Parts: sequence; structure tokens; C-alpha cells
Amino acid sequence: MTKPSGEWDHEWERVLWKQKTYADNYVPTSFLATLSKNANFRPYTYGYLVSASCAITQHIAVIFIFLATFVRLKERMLDPRLLVWVSILSFVAGYSLWELLHWHRDKASRLTDCAKAAKSSVLVFLALLALSPILRTLTAATSSDSIWALSASLFILNVLLADYTSLSVNSYNHERLSSVLSMNGAISASVVLASRLIDDISVFALMLFSIQSFALFPMLRRRFQTLPTPLQLVLTALLLGLSIYFTLPLSSTIASLYATVFAFITFIAPAALVWAQRFKNEIRGRWDPAVPRVRVIEGHGKRTRRSDHTLRR
Amino acid sequence: MDPITIAMVSDFFPPDVGGVENHIYMLSANLIRRGHNVIVITHSHPPDRVGIRWLLPSLKVYHIPFPTIASSATLPNFFTFLPYLRNIVLREGVQLIHAHASLSSLAHEGILHAHLMGVRTVFTDHSLFGFDDAASILTNKLLEGALRNVDAVTCVSHTGRENTVLRARLPPQSVYVIPNALVADQFKPAEVQPSLDELTIVVVSRFAYRKGIDLLVATAPRICQKFPNVRFVIGGAGPKMIDLLQMREKHQLQDRIELLGPVKHSDVRNVLTRGSIFMNTSLTESFGIALVEAACTGLYIVSTRVGGVPEVLPSDMISFANPDEDDVVRAVSEAIELVRAGKHDPKAAHERVRGFYDWKDVGERVERVYESVMKSEPLDFWTRLQRTLDLGRFAGPIFAIILIVDCLFFMFLEWLSPACDIDKVEMHWKHERFVELVEQYENKMAATSSPEPNLDNAEE
Repeated sequence: MTKPSGEWDHEWERVLWKQKTYADNYVPTSFLATLSKNANFRPYTYGYLVSASCAITQHIAVIFIFLATFVRLKERMLDPRLLVWVSILSFVAGYSLWELLHWHRDKASRLTDCAKAAKSSVLVFLALLALSPILRTLTAATSSDSIWALSASLFILNVLLADYTSLSVNSYNHERLSSVLSMNGAISASVVLASRLIDDISVFALMLFSIQSFALFPMLRRRFQTLPTPLQLVLTALLLGLSIYFTLPLSSTIASLYATVFAFITFIAPAALVWAQRFKNEIRGRWDPAVPRVRVIEGHGKRTRRSDHTLRR
Repeated sequence: MDPITIAMVSDFFPPDVGGVENHIYMLSANLIRRGHNVIVITHSHPPDRVGIRWLLPSLKVYHIPFPTIASSATLPNFFTFLPYLRNIVLREGVQLIHAHASLSSLAHEGILHAHLMGVRTVFTDHSLFGFDDAASILTNKLLEGALRNVDAVTCVSHTGRENTVLRARLPPQSVYVIPNALVADQFKPAEVQPSLDELTIVVVSRFAYRKGIDLLVATAPRICQKFPNVRFVIGGAGPKMIDLLQMREKHQLQDRIELLGPVKHSDVRNVLTRGSIFMNTSLTESFGIALVEAACTGLYIVSTRVGGVPEVLPSDMISFANPDEDDVVRAVSEAIELVRAGKHDPKAAHERVRGFYDWKDVGERVERVYESVMKSEPLDFWTRLQRTLDLGRFAGPIFAIILIVDCLFFMFLEWLSPACDIDKVEMHWKHERFVELVEQYENKMAATSSPEPNLDNAEE
């Protein structure tokens, strides 16, 4: 690329309507003068990324705990009735925490919500109890190899599609399609795994535990993410420790593999992202589509809205 | 320059409506007037626009039977166009391929295949694209690959040129700025100027997000409220039509905002002459031919300051607004005061625009590009391959494989139907010959009819 000579620069104007003497491919010195690089770029810090990775660690730790529980049930090392009680207790504990986070709401709505939750939890409990003989024989004819492969891929789907964003206590947004798919993936994985168990009560205990871990816990986890960082770190360490503690007696190889996975997610992946930011090259100029600023009148107050980016094509 | 045979290649050509379509047709017509042979290669529009079709003035259009996927673009596949293109190029003796529009896969393929037949290439980019979303990143890489070995590129505005140079990583010297143009005679101001007491604001646009219809929806009721004697005439169609209808319904403005529906290009002038101010709220615009057409018809222009719009008209014919609701209202209010104060003369504006843009001038400038391309030395195969490999770690090998497979495919086609077996077009349409023949025919008719006794005359 040669440097623009600038011989016509006193004459060159950024207009198309004037008759001109210079050539059509003349490169003025002001060419690309308005180009700006990384104008609104705020680099991530390592500490922030490590704390943000807690959500992923928690999610994966729950899957590992679930797998360890399944192995214990299958090997008859764990009494299924104990697991049912643990599930019920953790449900009560989780629900109390949930209520604690929402304590500032008015009393009437809390009471109706509480009644609704009690009703639906009893319904789910009874439905699972009734369905467990069917769930046990549903995929019984499928060979174990296929079951392991299928459940592994469903859990991977669950990890990939899960919603790791935080959700403030006051907001009530609807779940995104991907997070619904993620939950379905994990529940289906539990269903196919349940067919390897021996009796109905084990199936029932496993399914109850899977609902706790993959349907209810993620909702609570997203609310926890708005809490101060130390609390999150404690929760993460607790779940991580539990997953390793439950796995270690079963297989030390798997436990060390888990530890490697956690170390990668918490320390190496954020470092890689921080390193990759040096290649960030965001260019802006006057060719960029403008973002319309439109005032929307809603109720009493006015607010400024930036129109939805995804709609622009 | 000596007359050459040029093939315009693009997915976008009439009967589709739009700026690019019209540009290709008008440019072809003007190049024919300058003595060149011009053909157009585009995809077919079943059931009636198929095969070869002639358009006035003696423009031959080849319709390739490719199905379209979205907004009249064909599926990019890099190879299937070659058999058709080779046949057409050999039949017509094409020396230069001029491809249009960066979202047209036929245009990309035309540029990629041209070197096999020793044909030179020129590309014209008509639109602006960003760099920050997945679709842009992908299309920009495809464009870069296609334009790696192109001989020259033209853009319609200085902003468009900066954008294309960045997107396709081209040396700026190989990119020419040649504006769009219009036929000023088709956009004459109204004989009787519309009244300024009942002032009318005209909007003609496609109703899409990119055209800033959200801003129009937000500002039109406020302008109507502020100026009780202002009316809107809005022409066009598109996905945002429902927003406009809702806005009109909600603010009870049915008698003041007239929605015309889709407007044909030949009817645009009749819509424009109904008003005194033209309002454009586009969020991105490479050239904005609609603004120039409106200015030519004698309207005062209010537009958002985006893309190449600030380049197309002198500042005393246009008011700018930021893409912000309040600022658009401000700019339109000022424009209404200015027009009501009689500070804008439509007849003088028409004469001025007539001097700004002219297809004859555009034809000459494009011809100069062709001339420099035809004079330059073509790249040899190894240089092409080397340049293609330099595209990038992943894109380079992919495009190099495409280049090599394309060559093998071409050799296969040479074996399957050798060039010597293809019939050449020997007779071209010659306008002078046509006039001559018409005259001969008329003379003959006159000669054969005159000896007959004319009863009417005989009675006299």
C-alpha cells in the first residue's frame, strides 16, 4: 500500500455532487480518518472471570454428585429411602432459602405462592411414585452401552445449553428455550439411567433427586449468583468438595479427572480468555448502521429504549 | 476506448425492484449507447423470465435457471455457474465481467471463474456492512475471497469505498468512487406547486428496520401534533407496515397520514410531486438515490446523517438529524419553517441536481475504469494461487482448493464440449442497421401503396 500522495488534497472534498478534476481512485490523506478501533472495549479482568466461572463449576459439580449417587444406588451402597429423605430435606431447605431471598415481598402473595409450591410439589411427588415402575422398564430392553453413551451425551447437552446468567431476585423473566432444553436433557438422562436400577423405590429416589438437581437447583443457583462473591465461593467450594468426596471412594481416577476439570474451568479457561483479548479488534466508522433512539411512553414515566439489535436484518 | 463486450453479472436485476437493479440496467443502457456490446447474466424468474430475453435498448439478458433462497439471492456454491458462464462467455466473446452487489453469489462466482476464460473483472459494491456480527464476518470473508484477484472495484460513495476497502482488505488505489445517477427528465417538479399552507411530507421507503421506520413511527404523530396543517404521504411496503398502521390507528391520524402501499419506480415521481418535503429516516445508506430523486423533483430533504448520505447533496438542499426521535422532530420542524418562508425554490433545485448527476458522466467514468483494467497485465495462475493462500490460515487453503477444483472443472468442460464446437454469436444488434431497415421497409411500403388509385384523392 503506497502512501497517498496528497497532490489533490486541497481540492478533494467528501462530496459526490461536485465536478472534480482528480481521478476516481484518488486516495485522499483523510481516507479512513474516522476509523476507530476498540472504542467501547472494556477488557475482562482475571478475578472477575474466575468468580463468573463459579456458576459453571456449581452446575457441573451437581451433575457429578448426581452420578456418584446413581452409582451408589446401582451398587446397592446407598439405601434409596435415605435418598428420598435427603431429597425431601434439601427441597425444604432450598425452598426456605428461596423464601428468605424473597422475604421483602408482601405477605399475601408469599402465602399464595407457598400454597402453590406445596400443591405442585405433592403432585410431582405422587406422580413420580406412580410412574417409577414404568420408568424403570421404559428403556430396560436397551443395552447398557447405549444407555451410558446416551446419558453422557444428554448431560453434555445439559452443560452446554444451561443458562449461566444471573437473575436478580425481583425479576420474573421467562426461561429461554435453550435452558428448557438443557433441563429436559438432564431429566431424560436420569430417566435412561433409572432403567439400570433394580427396584422401583430406587428409581423413585433417583428421579426425585434428579428433579431437585436439574429442575429446581438451577433456578436457585441463578438467584444465588446475585449474592456477594464470598458467599458464592463458599457454595461453590461446598458443592465441589461434595462431588469429590462422593466420587473418591468409588474411583480415585475419576475423582482426579474431576479435579482437573474443575481446575481447568476455574483457572485455565479464564486465563485463556484474558490472553485472547489481545486479539480483540473492533472497528467502527461512519458506515455503521445507526441505532435509533426512540422514547417509549409506558404508564407514567418515559424511558429511552435502544431498539432490538437482532431485528435489524 | 475501443468497443468491448461486457457481461454484467448479478442476482439483482429487473423485474426485481431496487437501487442496484436499476443501476445495472441504466449503466448497461449507457454503455450500449457508447458503442459497447453489453449482456446481462442473472437468475431466472419463473414462469416468464427464463432463457434469453431482450430489453430496450438492445440489451440481451441471460436468465440462469437457479432457484433463489432469500431476497432474490441464489445459493452460493462456487461451481455450478461455471458451465453456463463458460458457454455464454465463449458464445458472446465477453472480454470483461462487471459483477454487482456483495450479497450476490452469481457476482462472486463470475469473478472467480473469469480468469479461466481470460476475461477481466470489475466489481461494484452497492451497500455498507458492519463488522461485528456473525453474518457480517462470514459475508466479509466470502467477499474478501472473491475479490482477492479482482482487477478493479467501484463503490458508489466515499463512505462505501472506506467500508469496502476494510471489508475486502483491498489496496485503496484499486477502488474507484463512481456515484449512482438518475434520469433528471423522469423527475421534473410539479407544474403547479403543492400548497404550502397544507404542507405535505413525503416518505418513500421499504418498511424495514434498516430504513429507520421506528423513527418514522415515533416522530410522525409528534409532527402532526405540532403542525396542524401538515400531512404525510407514505409509499412503500415491508415488514414494518404493521407498526405504521398501528401508529396511525392509535393517534387517530387516518385523515392526515396516507399510506399508499408499494410504489412502482415509474410512479415515484407522481408521489413525490404531491409534497414539499421528503423525509428519510434510514439507519444506513450507501448512496441514497431516493434522496437525490426527491431533490431533483424539487422537494426539500430531511434525512438522518448516516453512511454516504452527507455526500450526495449540498448542505443547502438537505437538513440533517441524528438518529434520535427529538432531533428528527427538530430537523423536520426547521425544514417546515424554511419551506413555508419560501426559502426553497423547487425549479432551481431541479436544475441544480440535473448538473450533479448524469448517467452519461457515470458511463464515461466506468469506461475509464474498464480502459485501465483492459490495459493492465492480468495476474498469472501462480500469482493468483499465492494471493489466495495469503487470505488467511483457514480461508486461504479453502479458497485455494476452490480455485484448483474450479480449474479442473474447467478442463473437464473443455474436454466435454470443446470451445471450437460452441456456436459463436456473429450478429449483434445494430441500432443504425435497425433504423436503416425500418426506413427501407417504410419506403417500400410507400412505394407499393402509391400506385394504387386512391379513391378519396381521385374524387377531389
